[in-house]
Amino acid sequence: MPPKNQTHRIDDLLGSVTEELLMGNPQQFEDNSIRVERLLLEMVRPDPVQPRRVLPEQLHFAFHSNRLTPTQALKELVQLVQVAARQRGRPFNNVLELLPNPDDESDEDSSVHLSPEEQLLHDLVNLAITIRDDGQVNPLTVVDVSQGVTQQFRIETGERRYWATWLLRDFIAGYNSDGMIPCIIIPTERSSVFRQAKENTARSGLSAIAMARQAALLLLTVHGYQIPENAVPNDFYRQALDIDLRGKREYTEAILSAMGGVKKGYFSYIKNLLRLSDEAMELADRHNLDERRLRPVVALAPEYHAEVVRQIIDLNLTAKQVKELCEGDLHEREDDEQEKIPASALKIAKAAQTTTAAAPQDIARALIKQEGDTSLARARLQALRKLLTDVERYLVDE
Amino acid sequence: MTRVFVFTNHKGGVGKSTSATNTALGIAGMLRRAGAPNARVLLIDTDSQAHATLVTTGTKDYGADDSLYTVLMADRQNAAQTLLNCIVQSTWDADLHVLPASPMLEGAERELMGIAGAPYRLADPLSRIINRYAAVVIDTRPSFSLMTEMGLIAATDAIVPVEPRYLETVGLMSVIGKINDIREGWRQPNLRVSGILVTKMNTRIRGHNHLLDELKGHSVLGKLLLGVVPANEAVSYAHQNHQSIFNYDPKASASKAYAQFVGKLVQRIAKGGA
Repeated sequence: MPPKNQTHRIDDLLGSVTEELLMGNPQQFEDNSIRVERLLLEMVRPDPVQPRRVLPEQLHFAFHSNRLTPTQALKELVQLVQVAARQRGRPFNNVLELLPNPDDESDEDSSVHLSPEEQLLHDLVNLAITIRDDGQVNPLTVVDVSQGVTQQFRIETGERRYWATWLLRDFIAGYNSDGMIPCIIIPTERSSVFRQAKENTARSGLSAIAMARQAALLLLTVHGYQIPENAVPNDFYRQALDIDLRGKREYTEAILSAMGGVKKGYFSYIKNLLRLSDEAMELADRHNLDERRLRPVVALAPEYHAEVVRQIIDLNLTAKQVKELCEGDLHEREDDEQEKIPASALKIAKAAQTTTAAAPQDIARALIKQEGDTSLARARLQALRKLLTDVERYLVDE
Repeated sequence: MTRVFVFTNHKGGVGKSTSATNTALGIAGMLRRAGAPNARVLLIDTDSQAHATLVTTGTKDYGADDSLYTVLMADRQNAAQTLLNCIVQSTWDADLHVLPASPMLEGAERELMGIAGAPYRLADPLSRIINRYAAVVIDTRPSFSLMTEMGLIAATDAIVPVEPRYLETVGLMSVIGKINDIREGWRQPNLRVSGILVTKMNTRIRGHNHLLDELKGHSVLGKLLLGVVPANEAVSYAHQNHQSIFNYDPKASASKAYAQFVGKLVQRIAKGGA
């Protein structure tokens, strides 16, 4: 019986036939081109570290930790929007009701201010209807991240189209497709954080917070930080606050270009937004606040961030107003600090509590010893007496 | 377009499972050596005896939740995802993936009988994930049952393994005729009889040589002959050890014959045509 498990010899056997096959055209099997394919929707997943988030934070984390399926995540989003819409007096049962009625000629809807979640769902429904009626013209860009039998593609760009297709499939009537989505498949080796950044910044509407996350991702990548495969908290991005462009000068140009050709100073301002508290970051991201309005907030203590951001949103403050608001707040804090009682005054006040603890002759002896002269000691006492009289006057004033 | 090779013959014991499993492994190995970016091959076992499943995964303990049966019984909308969930990695090679069979497939034919669209229950979900694979190989049961029809409808290339014996070569034309019926009847223009693989050839038996010569000389069948695999005890020992013939004894004559045969299929995959 022949020996078993001759794995090296299987290579020889198949290798010899392969060599024959390759004769004449050695490259006939090699294909590193970018392909456009229709992929099963379930095989595609959004990038958990993508700076540009589509879902609200809570749903984003629940979805990426596999606690929600795409359908469940959308269901939660719809419920969230239903509650918000009901509170604003415009309840709906079907997501299609979010779209304006083409038969209704009144301009009533145009003046309605939608909450970020309502706006998100409204946009997704709009996109879904476009896909249903006209097909998906623009394919998603995905990277093949399959491992073993687990076939998966990570979205580089097109997360909104992904969610719109799920919405169309599971929430909107009239979906006749086969559950596939057209995708441009980028070879894994061509995928990079720079490429993703360029795609993101090339599109309008990227929030300042998303830009800050993007800047952090680029900095962390060039500094050799491992980018995780799952959703990350803001603290992950905040690691970028400890590093800067100066550390990796050779990448400076590439980073600034990937960020949309911004200047170094603006890059620094953008990165600084990572100093905002978690709540403030989420609010600013959801409401798509620009960097100029957030810049003065960063200077405040973290406990004030969320409150100020909320005021910016509620009162629709301009950058100038925010600056005034924050600087005013800072001055108030400085005034507070000025009102602090000096340590010497505290000492005297403390001494007043212990007047019965020492005999007068002992105090007189201590004064002579301290000043070295009786007349000087007397002068000190007179000054003290005057001070105490003045203090008493202030007590009356208070 | 991904080629789907189905090994079929309504006669049992002609080497369908042996050929399907070794071919699937051979394609994956050769594509990888040739530098193909995607060398993954999917082996689908549609035979309820699950022999191909057993030798390539080391077990045939698959049932209602993790086998081809599960895919056939799934809702149309979820069938492709179910198919992905049921695929397992072969113990032979990381690039060889297996959709296992289960004894429950026997009952599936009865359960699916009369259900509209039943013959497409494999082809439909497979078409949605097929571009993830360089090639798909389907092993069928020794009969022209609903399950075999499903395999043929999902396929692009039918390969008929046959023993060089009189009655079997007589039946060869009827097998080819049946495949053509499915091509016409189910409107599957992509399906064609791609080749004949002679198995268990013993050159010391005069009758075998005579029949092989007749086959080679036949105006139609001769052009379809893709390979001749000699009878070799290494094949049965390889089965016993749950190994591929290439791995068990690469120097065996059967290994070399299978390697040559696989080489021809890989060439077709590369060319994308006949």
